[in-house]
Amino acid sequence: MGLIQRAVEKVGIPTIGVTLQKEITRRVKPPRALYLRYPFGHPMGEAFAVRQQRAVLLAGLEALETITEPGTIIEPGWAWRRHRFD
Amino acid sequence: MTPLRELGNAVAVQLFKRVPWIGEQWARRHRFVEATSAPWAPVVKPVKESSVALITTAGVHLASDPAFDMDDAEGDPSFREFPSDVDPRRLTITHRYYDHRAADQDINVVLPFERLRELVDEGRVGAVAPRAFSFMGHIDGRHLATLIERTAPMVAERLRADRAEAVFVTPA
Repeated sequence: MGLIQRAVEKVGIPTIGVTLQKEITRRVKPPRALYLRYPFGHPMGEAFAVRQQRAVLLAGLEALETITEPGTIIEPGWAWRRHRFD
Repeated sequence: MTPLRELGNAVAVQLFKRVPWIGEQWARRHRFVEATSAPWAPVVKPVKESSVALITTAGVHLASDPAFDMDDAEGDPSFREFPSDVDPRRLTITHRYYDHRAADQDINVVLPFERLRELVDEGRVGAVAPRAFSFMGHIDGRHLATLIERTAPMVAERLRADRAEAVFVTPA
């Protein structure tokens, strides 16, 4: 995934990637990443959890605007199935 | 896959999903194309004025398109594309290495089309780029060069042709 982000940034388009695997992200170094401790297969959260999916998307888009250092990983720290999205 | 390998794979998929430690151990041992620096395209426009595109590596594709090749142990470096306003019922997922039952029920679990459209309606995002792109994520060995040299740059060019100004990428 980091490799795809790199190719896109190379043509001048900024990217933000959700990651569920911090170790890989640290090594592959995509330009901007949003790390969530969610199970594989659930990068945006649970099925039909509109508020959760929206919060993940908004956090990613916000990270896109606020990250200034290449390789930064943002961690909202939301606990799986425990965090309440209002 | 033989029935025995099929079973082994199904067990591995659930273990990787439920026991994060296993994934971390795997990541520690697996060799990646590592980088010391990150490429950088600066954000020159606020998101609320930008056209945003989606890319996923969760193996999503139009049911009418060829599936990703799951028989090659080194994965499939090809990609699929579809219009961003596609009816989710036309999409399917070909990926044996993760549990996609949740995404099969609601595609927004891996590809947040509807959430992005809502943000456009609210004025928080400028527009949705016309096309979304999808890979199958598990790419290794000889296919890495194809991804790096051919297919990832092809997607980048198409995004540029679509005038996408930011990209949100989701894994499996």
